[in-house]
Amino acid sequence: MSGNWLIKNTFHYSNFMNIGRLVEEKRKKNLSISLCLPTLNEEKTIAKEIVIMKSELMTHYPLLDEIVVIDSGSSDNTREIARSYGADVYKASEILPDLEDFKGKGENLWKALYITKGDIIVYLDADITNIHHRFAYSLIGPLLITDHIKYTKAFYDRPIAIGKNKMRPTGGGRVTELVIRPLFSLYFPELTQILQPLSGEYAGFRDIFEKIPFPIGYGVETSMLLDIYEKWGLDVIAQVDLEKRVHRNQDTQSLGKMAFVILKTFWDRVEKLGLIKIKKQMLDTMIQYNLVENDYKSDIYTIKGLERPPMIDVPAYHEKFKKADHK
Amino acid sequence: MEEIIKKLPSFVNAVKKIKETIITNIVFIGQTPSPTFQEQHRTQQLMERLVETGVDECTTDGYQNPIGLIRGTSDKKPPIFAVTHLDTFFEKDIDHNFMVKKNSITGPGILDNAVGVGVLASLPEVFRILDIRFESDIVLAGVIQSIGKGNLRGIRHLLKTWETPVRGAVCIEGGELGRLNYATDGMKRCEIICDIMKGRDVVHKFKPNAILILHQIIEQILKMRLPQKPRSRVIIGKISGGYKHGLIACDATLGFEIQSDSDRMVKTIFKDINDIVDGISHETQVDLKLKTISTLSSSRLRYNHPLVKNTVEIMKTLNLKPVSTPSESELSIFLSRKIPAVTLGVTKGENYHLVNAKMEIDPMFTGIAQIVGVLMAIDKGVCDER
Repeated sequence: MSGNWLIKNTFHYSNFMNIGRLVEEKRKKNLSISLCLPTLNEEKTIAKEIVIMKSELMTHYPLLDEIVVIDSGSSDNTREIARSYGADVYKASEILPDLEDFKGKGENLWKALYITKGDIIVYLDADITNIHHRFAYSLIGPLLITDHIKYTKAFYDRPIAIGKNKMRPTGGGRVTELVIRPLFSLYFPELTQILQPLSGEYAGFRDIFEKIPFPIGYGVETSMLLDIYEKWGLDVIAQVDLEKRVHRNQDTQSLGKMAFVILKTFWDRVEKLGLIKIKKQMLDTMIQYNLVENDYKSDIYTIKGLERPPMIDVPAYHEKFKKADHK
Repeated sequence: MEEIIKKLPSFVNAVKKIKETIITNIVFIGQTPSPTFQEQHRTQQLMERLVETGVDECTTDGYQNPIGLIRGTSDKKPPIFAVTHLDTFFEKDIDHNFMVKKNSITGPGILDNAVGVGVLASLPEVFRILDIRFESDIVLAGVIQSIGKGNLRGIRHLLKTWETPVRGAVCIEGGELGRLNYATDGMKRCEIICDIMKGRDVVHKFKPNAILILHQIIEQILKMRLPQKPRSRVIIGKISGGYKHGLIACDATLGFEIQSDSDRMVKTIFKDINDIVDGISHETQVDLKLKTISTLSSSRLRYNHPLVKNTVEIMKTLNLKPVSTPSESELSIFLSRKIPAVTLGVTKGENYHLVNAKMEIDPMFTGIAQIVGVLMAIDKGVCDER
């Protein structure tokens, strides 16, 4: 394995602090850029993300052309708040309504391809409490400044909120270290250079995103990385150090469910690539046990390995973007 | 002045157009912790935001107060100050991430004083959107070491070392919208420290308890007869002490403020409290120290001073009912130097000094319009009479 990639394709957000230069590159290359925020009950954090991005990257510097919120059907005020700050807000179920309705982050990201207009799409999780516009401009930076990078991914320190008002300076990333990194080491050692493969902040050219399938749920980051790596190689990928991202601490059970989905996605991908042959069909249920009044009760979590096809194969998309048949 | 009054209501809606910029400034600055004596990061943040909004000059003074300067059209008029304090009561390790909702922002220090500093940082952009040029230079100053033990050091230094006359000033506080301060009380902020262990060579028949000693002092302070004229009071504001439930407290500290509209009365009350402390120390054979943390002299503008009169008119035009009480803040340093000044609040809110302090967004635009109106009034000369 060559360690060159880590040196050549790893950036720090401060490399792109000259936002004026990015705007100039964008203008020269005649590109448009969309920011997509997938949401489900994010009323506590969504407004801040929209306000900061709009102020810094639309009003002060015209780097972003649109901010789009794709919502999975929040029961709180996420959509109303997002709309009040000027984002374009859509319910995922109302996009491409003729297709069967699924719920999940991957579904929102996939449908964003149909809704957004940009040549470059930036995806940011909507639960970032310390949001800063560097989360967007630094992911856009390598895509504009270089000609070969087509997909960028964030990495950062992960202080986690403990209790109501205290922070722990390090932590998080347990699923990465316990699940993804061992798997990558076994099958794709080159990909271990990607420091936080599960980070929810990434950007790329539409040309890339529209040609890969999107799992409906948590597995989307894993599959995206594997698909881009397999189709275009590691050199089109870059990673950017965003320094600090504060996120909610998840309990071990929730992380277990996340790990389950990621494992399922991973095995599915390596089997499709012909790297292994799984003789027994993988099941769809994750079983966990809780002690309830002196009895162990099972908590069964069902997740089908549903996946959306490459968007370019969807006729409505084809028509909307007037794509030449790629097949 | 009539011209300003006519324009004021339209300012509110115009300022709303840059809502995102103002909220972003409040959030970025307020999320940067800034306990008194540790304001460096917030200073940096404010300067970055000022540079970003395109002030003509941005620097720090010799005391590290960050200052932005917007050049006026006349080089003969003295500058006008807009000032707000940068420090907060919250320690660095508290989660300072704010929550923004449709009409509110919640987080520690939002009202005291993230919104004040955020609005100060937004003023260049506000002037731009309102297409306002001033004759005077506008000095936008965030001052450090203001609250508590900071004792207004930042503003004292800034004005002491400022070389030219100052035409007038607006002090900006997060809340509460409608406040109009133009007078300050005489004030002495003190601490009484009781340390049992310091008198170890004394053999007590019964081991004294530091908390109970302070209790005795409080009782005696409460028995003092304070005059209604000049209006005077002693506020017992802070107390701490002891180690654990089952141990006699070896140390305890009491924080209080003497406030009066007569400086002489402040001195008299302080002397009386000093006597109480000396007496109890002598009788109980315990080490007691009375420390002065800060002092302010009383000073005021007349109600019919043109700055006050015009500010009242501006507020009434914006449907604000001015509420005036004496204030101990940057205002007192301006007034003590004979610089006409008022303190104004930006918005409404709740839980002022709690971690879940919450400000309302909509009233803020009226608060900003009022600040702009008063700065324009000063620029038109309401502070120029001597």
